[in-house]
Amino acid sequence: MERTDEPLSPEESLRLIESMINKVKGRFNEDGHLFLFWGWLIFFCSVAEFILFHFYHYEKHYLVWSLSWVALAYQVYYIVKKHRRQKVKTYTGHIIGYVWLTYVILSFLIGFLIGRLIGDTYFLHIFPIILSLYGMPLFLTGIILRFGPLIFGAVCCWVLSVVATFLPYDYQMLMLSVAMITGWLIPGYLLRAKYQRQ
Amino acid sequence: MFKELDPILHSQLRLAVMSLLISVKEAEFTFIKEKTNATAGNLSVQVQKLKEAGYIEVVKEFKDNYPNTTCRITQAGIKAFEEYVKALQEYLKVGQSKQ
Repeated sequence: MERTDEPLSPEESLRLIESMINKVKGRFNEDGHLFLFWGWLIFFCSVAEFILFHFYHYEKHYLVWSLSWVALAYQVYYIVKKHRRQKVKTYTGHIIGYVWLTYVILSFLIGFLIGRLIGDTYFLHIFPIILSLYGMPLFLTGIILRFGPLIFGAVCCWVLSVVATFLPYDYQMLMLSVAMITGWLIPGYLLRAKYQRQ
Repeated sequence: MFKELDPILHSQLRLAVMSLLISVKEAEFTFIKEKTNATAGNLSVQVQKLKEAGYIEVVKEFKDNYPNTTCRITQAGIKAFEEYVKALQEYLKVGQSKQ
């Protein structure tokens, strides 16, 4: 119905304000696509690395992670496309974007720092540190979106990071696979379901 | 003594636009049109009035070769909106105490 320019009573004004705010309040822009994309990619990479290292003793087992660069390029393309498609930008979406940017910067920085400080044996320590780092964006996104499965996933990552320190190197890789299931894939599918129900 | 309600905000469509924009970072014209059920012509006029009052910023650009208008609320707009809501609450308080 077309809105007229007739004068409003105070009650009508407040009702109008409330109804318009409600139209955007619960708006959910996260469809879980990138959670599922990265969740499956890292799950397969970590399982593949475990198989190559544990069963075949392949020296260059870490090469499977080269796939991440292709994935990163796809992510940049996807985010630019999504950004252009969005008709409305919310404050929560804006803050979540910066949380993930912080995570990406920290990932590269910590990768560099570990390499510099520890030297050739850096890879022996990398998985528990990566797992603890994974928890940060999941936890903050869960808090901002008020989405329990992400918070649960974050706590799982942190628990797995501690567990990984008690395990031999090859089994640490499998902790990463478990973290992908609990922290990224399950919340990712639940996010998608919530988005589609909206 | 009642504070006079801001005449720029005290109109159905302009108030609807401001209420939408106060809740988001920015919104495209088509989104506002869809949520307010307004016609493009009427909405353009009201958006222009809000812009002239300094309550919103309007950015016109090309997106995928089509013209696209984006609106966002300004600091002056937020202040005016808050004062408008306060004034409404005053009116309602007095109305309730008279009953």
